[in-house]
Amino acid sequence: MIPSALFFVMVYVMSRWFVALALLVGGLLASPGQIVHAAPQVRVQQVDGGHAVDPLAAPAGSKAIVFLFTSTDCPISNRYAPEVRRLATTYGPKGVVFRLIYPNPAENAKGIREHMAAFAYAGAAQAFRDPKLDLVKFVGATITPEAAVVVDGKVVYRGRIDDRYVDLGLERPAATTHDLGEALEAVVTGRKVPHPTTQAVGCYIADFAR
Amino acid sequence: MKVAAVALASVTLATVVLATVASGFSRTEQVSSPTYTKDIAPLIADRCGMCHDAGGAAPFGLLTYADAKRHATQIATVTRSRFMPPWKADPDNGPFVGQHPLSDAEIDLIRRWVDGGTVEGDPRDLPAPRHWAEGWRLGQPDLIVTLPEAYTLQAEGTDVFRIFVIPLPVTKTRFVRGLEFRPGNAKVVHHANIRVDKTAASRALDAADPGPGYSGLILRSADYPEGHFLGWTPGQVAPLLPKDLSWRLDPKTDLVIETHMQPSGKKESVQPSIGLYFSDTPPTRTPAMLRLGRQTIDIPAGEKQYIVTDSYTLPVDVEVEALQPHAHYRAREVQGDATLPDGTKKPLIHIADWDFRWQHVFQYETPLRLPKGTTLSMRWVYDNSAANTRNPERPPKRAQWGQRSSDEMGDLWMQVLTRNEPDLVTLTRQFRAKVAAEDVNGYEVEIEKHPNDIGLHDDAALLYLEVGRPENAVAHFQKSLALKGGSAPAHYNLGTALSVAGRLDEAVYEYRQAIQIDASYANAHNNLGSVLLSQGKTAEAAREFREVIRLQPQSASGLANLAWVLATASRPADRDATQAVDLAERVVDLTGRRDARALDVLAAAYASAGRFDRAQDAASAALRLLPAEPLASEIRQRQDLYRQGRPYVAQDPQSRR
Ligand code: HEC
Repeated sequence: MIPSALFFVMVYVMSRWFVALALLVGGLLASPGQIVHAAPQVRVQQVDGGHAVDPLAAPAGSKAIVFLFTSTDCPISNRYAPEVRRLATTYGPKGVVFRLIYPNPAENAKGIREHMAAFAYAGAAQAFRDPKLDLVKFVGATITPEAAVVVDGKVVYRGRIDDRYVDLGLERPAATTHDLGEALEAVVTGRKVPHPTTQAVGCYIADFAR
Repeated sequence: MKVAAVALASVTLATVVLATVASGFSRTEQVSSPTYTKDIAPLIADRCGMCHDAGGAAPFGLLTYADAKRHATQIATVTRSRFMPPWKADPDNGPFVGQHPLSDAEIDLIRRWVDGGTVEGDPRDLPAPRHWAEGWRLGQPDLIVTLPEAYTLQAEGTDVFRIFVIPLPVTKTRFVRGLEFRPGNAKVVHHANIRVDKTAASRALDAADPGPGYSGLILRSADYPEGHFLGWTPGQVAPLLPKDLSWRLDPKTDLVIETHMQPSGKKESVQPSIGLYFSDTPPTRTPAMLRLGRQTIDIPAGEKQYIVTDSYTLPVDVEVEALQPHAHYRAREVQGDATLPDGTKKPLIHIADWDFRWQHVFQYETPLRLPKGTTLSMRWVYDNSAANTRNPERPPKRAQWGQRSSDEMGDLWMQVLTRNEPDLVTLTRQFRAKVAAEDVNGYEVEIEKHPNDIGLHDDAALLYLEVGRPENAVAHFQKSLALKGGSAPAHYNLGTALSVAGRLDEAVYEYRQAIQIDASYANAHNNLGSVLLSQGKTAEAAREFREVIRLQPQSASGLANLAWVLATASRPADRDATQAVDLAERVVDLTGRRDARALDVLAAAYASAGRFDRAQDAASAALRLLPAEPLASEIRQRQDLYRQGRPYVAQDPQSRR
């Protein structure tokens, strides 16, 4: 019984993974064959518990994974929800997988589910918890909201979504540089990412772990 | 798939995160580092608590150890940059109500607490918890009004402005000592400008726009109530006014609330409430609202240093109660000064890093006395280049004066009290002329942008009449008439401007046009009569005034004008002193003895009837109301005649030529 139950959980994890992806990257469900494994052992938690999973694993054919570090009550993070959804709608079909990462250990499944519903993330991105800051450390994130774009297990962009916030308390009326969008455009068109790192503005991940 | 190499910088940053986290544990027991309970809790309670309490004006609470720790790095960052506590003015200005800046030492204390690992410390050190009044901070209001239907704020965008119009259910005149605004959703409501509109104009705009409120501009008819600022910024509640300084609220007045909101990323429901606090007694003092500023602002695209200045020399002693600088996104620095008669310069307000999003009324702890002869001045600096982060246009565009947040403004509002009523009259009369002259500029800018807006032409013409430029008024009313087509009021308006410009024949023509369209147009008959009278056509004039009274038996101007003709006509045959006295007494009653011109007419009627004592008394009563020139001098001259036992008789304009 036990081995098969374990096996069942595994399959469940995998299939859920791909079903969620299918919303964005239609058709991938048909060929769940290979998973690209990254070298380091990075693990994140599923929101509803269960196994820790490898966030760097992506379905075959996907070109990049975007991790968006967020927290349920960070105002600047939340103001970016519509922009994140827009990017997911644009780049999902082009082979980019969007994953929301909640690094605050105090955030629970219920709060995260409510957050995803309120900001209409469900369907646009999968969510994971990173209470041990495993992924945070791997990509070098310090802020929510902050994005990391990973291609073949390597971070090719890390930083702000765009330059709307210059500092806490200093905001542009509209963004003038869409850094994450530019990075994704470069990745899907096979070019070099113009600015691999930028400074994000928002809430400090370091404070979550105090 | 071709991929760029990973930037190694990310690894270093990860180490930094680790180090910060780790140091928290290792230094917990160090004696030297500040602790939450002893050092930080009292500071936060004192300087941040009024906004960052649960349910307060700030988006999150900071009053527990857990909350402070959760925001520790942010707290260190925003206090170091002096973004928090939000206080844009130079700390040497004022002192103003609600001023709680942090000292450099306190900012450093916070930094050391965060660097030292946000140590909690001994619970016995914790200060007694401070309770911020839940609910209304000024106490239970006498009247609470709430936006009847919640407004749904869009999920996206930076700054959203929406104007809500709330009718006030008062059935008799009340006197307001205080007004408290509750945003209804502190997460998104950033500040509110509040005005009162005694007309139905704002309400009509609200009705025409689907959903609660309307998007657009605050109308000119929505204004501050008689010299009082109204508004809200986070954490600020203007204290209750002393009873003698309340403001009058008449039935059928609407509150107009321009609400500045910041979308949160999801749709939000916003339903503000306002509490009003009444006093039973009318005010005995009324403040004056002064406004320095320019409406000729025109900043070329890319201009880095555009400077706007204005000044005004006080004709009377005043006490400054409060100040409010105003500008939009391109302003970078604002400076207001007072130069005393002896030449000493006293800074009033200086904001080195102007931020449109933190508007504030700076209210003096103790009013600032400024003697007659003090020059108030302002100097605003704008940066319309791309280097100004807050510039709303990319690439920068020419920016002209205008009320939209994408336009520019530059004003310094000042609420002042005078020593007495005559000083107030002197000040407001002189100042009104200055403001009207500036407003004319603003209208010309608006009209250049919207040349076919009838309302703009009409308002501009009225202002031109007020500032004594009737020819310009004629031009705008002509334009308005052309746009509207020949309506009776359009002809009437033009006729009025022509009368003031001394173009009497043309005026007569326009009034007759108005009357042809609408024979029952009492004001047109009245003004036509006045023009005919000054053309020496006394009998014709009297006929028009009688028509006014027939149409509107209570018309004060009709009654007064007819009384005037009957009392002062140059030909004895046109006079009837008894009827004149009768009519004039009715006018004085109708105007509650508060109208100088009515009393002047009564005086002339008495004199015409040979009752010179009464004539002198009525003239004195008129002069006590401090009428404007030239009326005041005319009344004085007539009073001299009455003293000599002579009536006032109008000169025949024919003989005057
Ligand atoms: C007058 C009210 C007020 C006071 C006093 C105040 N705050 Fe704030 N605070 C706000 C508001 C409102 C915001 C939301 C930011 C915005 O609207 O731009 C805020 C935001 C913040 C933020 C988040 C910044 C961001 O951009 O996300 C921090 C951190 C903060 N305050 C700390 C403090 C600290 C520490 C103090 C005391 C030393 C303090 N505040 C005092 C009103 C206040």
